[in-house]
Amino acid sequence: MSGFFRASAFFAATILLTFGMIVTKGHSSRTWFFLWLAMLFVASVLITVAVWPRLPRTIPATQRTIAHGATLFMVGFLVLGVQLARVQVADSAIISERTHSDAGNVDVQDPRHRLMASEVQRGSIFTSDGKVVAQTDKNPDGSFIRSYPDPATAYLAGYYSPLLYGSSNLEAAYDSELMGESGGNPITQWLDGILHRDRRGYDLTLSVNQDVQDQANQLLGNQRGAAIVMNAKTGAIVAMASTPNFDPNKLYVNEGPQINAETDTAKAYWEQLTSQQDSPLLLRPTQGLYIPGSIFKTVTASAALQSGVAQPDTVYRDEGALTVGSRVIPEENRPDNNRIDYTLTDAYGWSLNVVFAQIGLQIGPQRMQEFAQKFGFGSDIPFELPVAISELDADPSFLSDQASLAVTAFGQGQIQATPLQMALIADAVANGGTMMEPYLVQKISDEKGTTLSTNSPSSWQRAIDEKTASQMQQIMINSVQNGYASGAQIPGYVVGGKTGTAEVGGDKQPNSWFIGFAGKTDPEYVVAVVVENGGEGTKVALPIAHQLLQTALQLDETK
Amino acid sequence: MSAIVRRFRFTEFQLLVAPSLMTVVGLLTIFLARTGSSRWTWSDIWVSLGYVALIFLMTIFLSATGFKGDQVLFPIVATIAGLGLLEIERLNPVLKAENPNLAHVARNQVAYIAVGLFLLLLMMVFVKRLDWLRRYKYSLGFLGLAMMAATVVFGTDINGARLWIDLKVATVQPSELVKVILVVFLAAYLDDYGDLVAGSYRFLRWNLPPIPYLLPMFLMWAAALGVVVLQNDLGTALLFFGIFLVMIYVATARLWYVVVGLSAFAIGVYVAYQMFDRIAVRVQNWINPWADPLDKGFQQIQAEYTMAAGHIFGTGLGYGHPQYIPAVETDYIFAALAEELGLLGTIAILALYVLLVARGSLIALRADRGFPQLLAVGLTTILALQTLIILAGVLRLIPLTGITLPFISAGGSSLLTNFIIVGLLLRISDGSVKT
Repeated sequence: MSGFFRASAFFAATILLTFGMIVTKGHSSRTWFFLWLAMLFVASVLITVAVWPRLPRTIPATQRTIAHGATLFMVGFLVLGVQLARVQVADSAIISERTHSDAGNVDVQDPRHRLMASEVQRGSIFTSDGKVVAQTDKNPDGSFIRSYPDPATAYLAGYYSPLLYGSSNLEAAYDSELMGESGGNPITQWLDGILHRDRRGYDLTLSVNQDVQDQANQLLGNQRGAAIVMNAKTGAIVAMASTPNFDPNKLYVNEGPQINAETDTAKAYWEQLTSQQDSPLLLRPTQGLYIPGSIFKTVTASAALQSGVAQPDTVYRDEGALTVGSRVIPEENRPDNNRIDYTLTDAYGWSLNVVFAQIGLQIGPQRMQEFAQKFGFGSDIPFELPVAISELDADPSFLSDQASLAVTAFGQGQIQATPLQMALIADAVANGGTMMEPYLVQKISDEKGTTLSTNSPSSWQRAIDEKTASQMQQIMINSVQNGYASGAQIPGYVVGGKTGTAEVGGDKQPNSWFIGFAGKTDPEYVVAVVVENGGEGTKVALPIAHQLLQTALQLDETK
Repeated sequence: MSAIVRRFRFTEFQLLVAPSLMTVVGLLTIFLARTGSSRWTWSDIWVSLGYVALIFLMTIFLSATGFKGDQVLFPIVATIAGLGLLEIERLNPVLKAENPNLAHVARNQVAYIAVGLFLLLLMMVFVKRLDWLRRYKYSLGFLGLAMMAATVVFGTDINGARLWIDLKVATVQPSELVKVILVVFLAAYLDDYGDLVAGSYRFLRWNLPPIPYLLPMFLMWAAALGVVVLQNDLGTALLFFGIFLVMIYVATARLWYVVVGLSAFAIGVYVAYQMFDRIAVRVQNWINPWADPLDKGFQQIQAEYTMAAGHIFGTGLGYGHPQYIPAVETDYIFAALAEELGLLGTIAILALYVLLVARGSLIALRADRGFPQLLAVGLTTILALQTLIILAGVLRLIPLTGITLPFISAGGSSLLTNFIIVGLLLRISDGSVKT
């Protein structure tokens, strides 16, 4: 009985300590701290019970008390061992990441991180065609300098400023690979560590093509906006542009003789970037949230087709305005003011708000929600860089109002979407109903050029079935052949698309949008372009998207 | 000839091989890691060679004198002290950069170890009859009190605590020696009055502990709090009081004396916490060092980063970054070891202390009843409690208290005292010497 009792006390202590290490992991607040100490205390009492020496009365009292005292000391040492395991192993990564900042500046952090930055040569980043995005060179004095030679890709790499502002974008997302800490063979890495071999970080090769990326930046020019070109079948990002952007060269600060000069430049530049109204540090394709306007009709039309509410040739009436509840929806897009009957396909091509308002009412709020979710609204899009979550509505009861549902159906209302989200909607149509997981990094390789890992395309989620997708493809192709998006035609290629002119309220110019796809016979690339307050979709976003698609398609021709 | 072979302390000799190799190879590693080359000469590692010579001379001398005491205790101590020597040597350039006065800290450590070993021998030669210590218990007790009083009056404040007396040649920390005196005094006192202490008498309706218990209990409580208040040092007070309680428990087998004593101490400390800033700061750092990460919590935060950096295997001797912890050579030397040796290393160090305490307890169990036994218990308790208190502080299980890690922390007073303790334990372990 006693043996069983002791064994269970020991068992309970083990369970308690394991449980305690797991639940308190990473928590450093007062409550959690005391909770862990309490657990440790209870466990030590249990262990004491388990190992307490029961000595017969025949042994002199002093001998027994000495044994008891020694037992207590041993339990004390055991508790120290448990705490050591927690600090050195279980919580070690969390502890080394703990920082303290004062007004945005990190003033306490593990100095080993800074040291690493000056000891390990950080890996390079290349475009898919081998152009340098980021590289680290050794100065004659042994210190490192990280540079970003091309302004068209530099901001996509992000800034790397370990001593001041941390890092962003790819520099942040792939920090451990670029420092050679993960991504390679764990045994070699471990050996390198214990043998203190000089380490060099691993190189990243992006799926981004220099030419397309260059062009995207040029076309956006001085306007605020974003452009994404993505491989429709794989999800590989061919171009991801954001304007205005920044020069990470000016934010680089590392240990070395020039540290003071670098710090001054970086601080001044940071001050300028963060005080600017147009947020140059924001990577718009993934972080910018915009009202989509008419391009959202792609979701509405897909929902209608998939749920059987309408067919591509279902005829709707558009009499120039529609009254929903107390709201009058005017129609400004009809190609011919005397024509009243339009099929779904026509209505998409001519971007008829009155028709889509009717379709939206037919679909109803539940299905609207359901399809928006299927297309990715409300979910965290799996991507290497953080993506803002796109939302269909800000308050949950919004869509229960008929007028709100009607305006949402043609892309106004409370919808907020990232350009990446809209590119994925085009991808769902272009790729048989399934959205691919977008990615930027094609492969990781070591300094000798040996590939350590390659990204294999994987699908993310299915939005619509194949039949609906092929119907939607035809509708989008029709929009380019016969509708407002005719400017997007490329001779010899199949092109589908949709323009959007999203009202942003007030007397500001609308946001100009385009999403679409193009390919030889099948869609090969999808595109999404937004220009903030750019004006009409057909005039601003469409020409940019058109040129980007052309350049992307030529890549395959010249191969 | 056969007599010499019979007397030869073969176990001890054998057990010293591993710590010798450790100190030689360890120092070589540190030297090569520092220079980044593979060239070295024997003179680069003279410190370790000297240390190896010292410990082997010691065991040969013990064999030659025909000493029959414990053969395991000394090798354990030699291993821990060797490790301490390595770490001080490793930290030498760091400390030099921080404070030019510390440039010779490693050389000093070898010298202290040499003097310590000499004191150890002195203990064994001169304290032939342990009774001698016992006879002079009151004189010793007064000496201890006088030393503490002198510290309060003439002491210098270092890091806010008044524990040191500046003798111009060296700064000594009398409390280190006083704890040994305390143990000797308590062992003698409890041996004489143990029966009385264990008894009880009735006062009105309650069974109260007897005056021979109550009086020293109260005096100890007052003295310990006096240390907290006058010398601003929680660690020493905790250590003194802890030693007292353990010895009371061993002598009387009354667990509730310990409980009452501990509660009284806790109340005293709580009041002190309310009243004195320095104690409050320590408690604040214990609960959340991030409350003041740039100043008061800085050392603790850096120590945690350092320990976390060690992970399982450690960075390797000489490859860590102990320089980020201010005053690393004292309270936080264990954190520096934790980074370079990893969890495997720190558990091994804990195991060494466990062996030390276990061996001390074994010596106590085998000792003659009465004074020698209580003395052995008290001396072992000093080593055990001191290790537990400082390590629990470093690992933030209790507020940090500035006491030394036995045999590892830099510092002459503590090292010498610890060798005296080992000397006395070895003396007690030799059962042939009767009191």
